[in-house]
This record gives sequence, structure tokens and C-alpha cells, in this order.
Amino acid sequence: MNTGIAADRGKACQDLVRAARAIVDAEGPTDAALGKIRDLLVALAGRGEALFPRGDFALPDGGGRNHPLELEDGDGMGLYLTINMPGKEAAPHDHGIWCVNAAISGRELNRFFRRVGETGVEAINEVMVEPGSGMYMTEHAIHDTLVVGDEPSWGLALYGYALIRFPSVVWFHPEFGTMRASPSRRPAEAA
Amino acid sequence: MTHRVTIANTGQTIECSPDRPILHAAVAAGIDYPYICASGNCAACISELKSGEVSMLPHGDGALSAAQKAEGKILACRAKPCSDVEVIWLGRGRK
Repeated sequence: MNTGIAADRGKACQDLVRAARAIVDAEGPTDAALGKIRDLLVALAGRGEALFPRGDFALPDGGGRNHPLELEDGDGMGLYLTINMPGKEAAPHDHGIWCVNAAISGRELNRFFRRVGETGVEAINEVMVEPGSGMYMTEHAIHDTLVVGDEPSWGLALYGYALIRFPSVVWFHPEFGTMRASPSRRPAEAA
Repeated sequence: MTHRVTIANTGQTIECSPDRPILHAAVAAGIDYPYICASGNCAACISELKSGEVSMLPHGDGALSAAQKAEGKILACRAKPCSDVEVIWLGRGRK
């Protein structure tokens, strides 16, 4: 690993999280605030190989991996570099917390849904997250993901909580007619 | 063409096409197989492959590690049968 690049990356990621913190503290996690953070994250991701060289991050063994880049102290935000292989997918789910994504390379299709009835969802929109673009979700927005094309997707993901302190995530399964929630990792809620 | 999938926890054997994950065939057959995300991200459907062969769709490393795969563990939601197979789910306790 090039220590100069690692130092530059560390500072850039710290700056991004500090800027995101200032925005959220001032405005709350509103659509407008998350849109501003998305634009900052897209700009950071746009620095590409200069900050995030391929050799510094191991590829997934199975299809998807999250590399922590910057974690706020306490119960704060988490910034990750995510690598997902072609065909990697996630069924419709919410996160229980806001998130912002931006692409470094590759293409990930994000479809957004609204709830229908007790357990159903209905697609309402979609965004292709690819270099130069990103997306955000408020805490109970629902999306699914699919890495399309032949190239792995490399991206940045900022969450309102670090992944190890995530709330319950609700997953929707139209094929089964069910929705199921993962256990919360929140300190006060964990069993 | 389908393969026979035996769920050791319940003793049931179902048919599953080679392009369908075992979990999806099991749920469709009315089996109460444990799952949460059903898309390779949570490990609720982690299972042991007792016999036969499967091909695995991409999944999160956090849901199934390389070491677990080497031990014969699979995610039923990502595993498509390549032959007749027998599996036993490891989540929710073995029945």
C-alpha cells in the first residue's frame, strides 16, 4: 500500500464525514441534506484510482465486501468502500437509517419501492449508480440492488450508523408474500 | 429437468430446477426454511451441504466466508442444485 495515498485517502474521508456531520446536524437527514451529501460523495468517488487504487482493497471471496474507510467516534456515521461482483443482488429492503452511495466504477441498478398492503412492495423509480452519479435514501426508503454488466461495482457508501451498529433491516419478498426483519445491532435494542 | 433436494431437518424431499435456489423451491413447497434477506446478505438460511453439488450465486462475504464454504456450508438462498442434494439448515436450531 502506498502510504502517501493512504494518508491522502484518510484525510479526504475524514473531511467528507465531517462535512456530512455538519450538514445533518444543521438540517437533519432531509432529502435536501442527503442530496448535498450525495454530491460530496460523488465528488470523492470521482477521485477514483488517485485515492482508491485497486491494490489497496481485497476483492470479495463470495461476491460482496465492505471495507471501512472512516467511522465516527461513538454512535456515529460509517463510510465504506464497497465492492460487489457482477450479479450480486439484494432483495427489496430498508435500512432503518439513511444512506448515501456513489460509484467509483462499475454499474449498480437501484430500484426504489413503496409499500403496498401488509407485506408487498411496488417499484416506483430506479437509478443506475455509475461513475459520476450516486443516490440517497431516507431511513425508511426501500430499494433493491443488482450489479449489472461484466465489471465489479466499486463505490462509496455512507450510513447514518456504522454497519456494526445497524438497526433492524426489513426485507420484502414479493415471491413469497412475506417481509422479515433482521435483528437490530443497536446497543440498546440488541438481545 | 429437476434435481431432488432432501431437507434433513424435516425429512422432506422436493424437486428443484438447476436454475432455482434451494430456498425458493423449499418455501414454494411449503417448508418453513429459515430466511430473512433471501438474497445472500444475512446468513439466516446458512446450511450444511450433506451430499451432492451446488453452484453458488454471488453473496456477501459477511454472510458466508471462504472458510465456511470450505467446511461445506452454503446459503440456501444462493445455492442452485447441480445434482440431487441433501441439506440441513443450521439457523433457528436444528430440528
